[in-house]
Amino acid sequence: MATAPQLPITRPRWARSPFYFNSASHLLRIGREKATTLQELLESLRTCPESSIFQHTFQTLAEHHFIREGFSNDFSHWAFASCNEVELAEQLAAIDVREFTFIATLRERLIHIIETYLQKNLRAATRVAMEPFYLMASDLVVVPTPYVARNLEEFADGLRKVSIHAIYYHFIDARLRLKLNTNDFSVWLEKELDMGHAADKLNRIDIYTSTLEGVRRSILKVVETEMGRA
Amino acid sequence: MKEKDPEWKTAVLEKNGKAGENTQERQKKIKTAEKPASHNAGQPAIAVSERRFRQTDLPAHFIERRMRPRINTQQPPPQAPPRLEDYEPIIGKPELDEIRFLARHLRGKTVKMVNSTAVGGGVAEILNRLIPLLTELEIPTRWDVITGGNDFFEVTKGFHNALQGGEYNLTQQIKDIFMSYTEQNRQRMEFAEDLFVIHDPQPVGLVRSKSQKRGKWIWRCHVDLSNPHPGVWDFLKPMVEQYDATIFSAPAFTRQLTGPQYLFYPSIDPLSEKNKDLPEEYVNKVCDDFGIDRSRPVITQISRFDRLKDPVGVVESYKLVKKYVDCQLVLAGGGASDDPEGAVVLQEVMEAAGDDPDIIILNLPPWSALEINALQRASTVIVQKSLKEGFGLTVTEGLWKEKPVVAGAVGGIPTQIVHKLTGVLVHSVEGCAYQIRYLLTHPEFAAQMGKNGREHAKENFLITVNLKRWLLLFQVLLGMAKPNTVL
Repeated sequence: MATAPQLPITRPRWARSPFYFNSASHLLRIGREKATTLQELLESLRTCPESSIFQHTFQTLAEHHFIREGFSNDFSHWAFASCNEVELAEQLAAIDVREFTFIATLRERLIHIIETYLQKNLRAATRVAMEPFYLMASDLVVVPTPYVARNLEEFADGLRKVSIHAIYYHFIDARLRLKLNTNDFSVWLEKELDMGHAADKLNRIDIYTSTLEGVRRSILKVVETEMGRA
Repeated sequence: MKEKDPEWKTAVLEKNGKAGENTQERQKKIKTAEKPASHNAGQPAIAVSERRFRQTDLPAHFIERRMRPRINTQQPPPQAPPRLEDYEPIIGKPELDEIRFLARHLRGKTVKMVNSTAVGGGVAEILNRLIPLLTELEIPTRWDVITGGNDFFEVTKGFHNALQGGEYNLTQQIKDIFMSYTEQNRQRMEFAEDLFVIHDPQPVGLVRSKSQKRGKWIWRCHVDLSNPHPGVWDFLKPMVEQYDATIFSAPAFTRQLTGPQYLFYPSIDPLSEKNKDLPEEYVNKVCDDFGIDRSRPVITQISRFDRLKDPVGVVESYKLVKKYVDCQLVLAGGGASDDPEGAVVLQEVMEAAGDDPDIIILNLPPWSALEINALQRASTVIVQKSLKEGFGLTVTEGLWKEKPVVAGAVGGIPTQIVHKLTGVLVHSVEGCAYQIRYLLTHPEFAAQMGKNGREHAKENFLITVNLKRWLLLFQVLLGMAKPNTVL
């Protein structure tokens, strides 16, 4: 009897350290500052705690993860919907939080944009907004999930099963923790599975033109392509 | 912000133009009407069935139902509270796992919740749902209700109104009544739990039982404190300051306090009769009972007949819409049978509606949750054109049902609606009419907004999110969780 030709056995590449999927829950604290004009917002931005800047830029993306277009951060939305300052709103909306690994730098950028705009549009500074802006702050609590990945297959499985808050935590919030322009998924793929190319691809996914579910799908597409190659 | 939005500019012009005057006039009218000697007081309200409609092409059975809607007069038996696993198809397994994980650390910790009534009112409704879930998560939670004589509850009712901006004559005798019943309740209750959650101003004074050794105290304020009566607030504030944390429903509702203040949005239960999924046949049956023609757009406002909900303004908006789009208006609410003021408002609404057969006014009994659910699901656009509002639960209900919602930009509503993304905020009759017209003539935009609205409700306003917030807050207060660290 003829024997079937032996196919090479492909074994999944194993990571030296597994990837632990975490999720993030947050408690919203009501801040002490309130702005009724852009000038007041500017002053609040100078003095408010970093947790407030975090809430209205990073965290708000998690809260509005289902919106594909027209939402970037709370400051931009307020400038648009309550102050009717469309140009300022566009400038603020163009801020990509992923460029920032420190809240202090993000604060400086926000202040610079508003300050420059108000220098050119003096009357906009004191015009009373239709709705006040209440500064909030966010306490993020990290919650472990049961999902752990030791190879690409398990990684893809985890990506499919975790909540959208886990995607946010590892993909967006990670920058502030790592203090690097990258994310937890890319770091793990590069460090543990030597997949620098895939890591780089993940890092280029646009979070502002997609929902977080869309981001999850894009990440999975990259990972599944790598699985196909293996 | 990535797309130009010319319609939005039009709406802003309407907000800032004539429309503002209109709202002011209405506010003035409300103030006048709030006086006890209202010219309509005491007059019998017109029964809905007495309305006469002008000649119309509508089939006779619609007219018949609109004149004599089939309203359920039987109170259904109470529904058993759902279990946690029942929410899995709605929020998904990962979310449920997260709730269970958060609760695991709190297992065995005891909680006492205190409010002023066991039945009726929004707080009792929330506790009836929340406490079984906490208990299921092995966090024993006891619910106590304060007691008092009529004099006490008259005082607390006065406080409730005064804290929301009403006029009030605070005397020493009133303060004594409040403190005396607070002391009686303090003596009657035991305070041996790990966490105490005191709801609203009525039992606020129980915090005097706070011990340095045991327990964290939380005051959950469901009332809008943005403009309180100064005397009443000065009297209550020292008690509020003793709490370890306070919780408000919207950032606009708070006062300056020394302790941490948290934001918990009021939540809805997606499995309650008011919000659960309904078979299409049932929705059709309810529409049939009330004479609603499902082949044409339906604009709906669900709220009691109260001037602050501006039902007459909704009728005026509908009339502006009707010039362009053939549609129907449903105004469904209660409060007109047992509240003289409600009966007067109902009469005003019927006068404003006149003989238009496409304005369907329904004065429903309190047990109409299923019917209201069906009405919301049959709607093309849901309106909540309030002039003053706490947190509009009907707004959340509309969002949850994937409907485009047009709502007054007052109270907590701007927190519920991200303008033009999860709903539309309006400031006037004209603005309301314009936005309804736009939604009726741009069904794709309306559908996307409805989808966003549902996700917004799922992310922020469901009872499961509320439960998660409680678990997080308990952990933070008991020192079990620290921000930005893994539990």
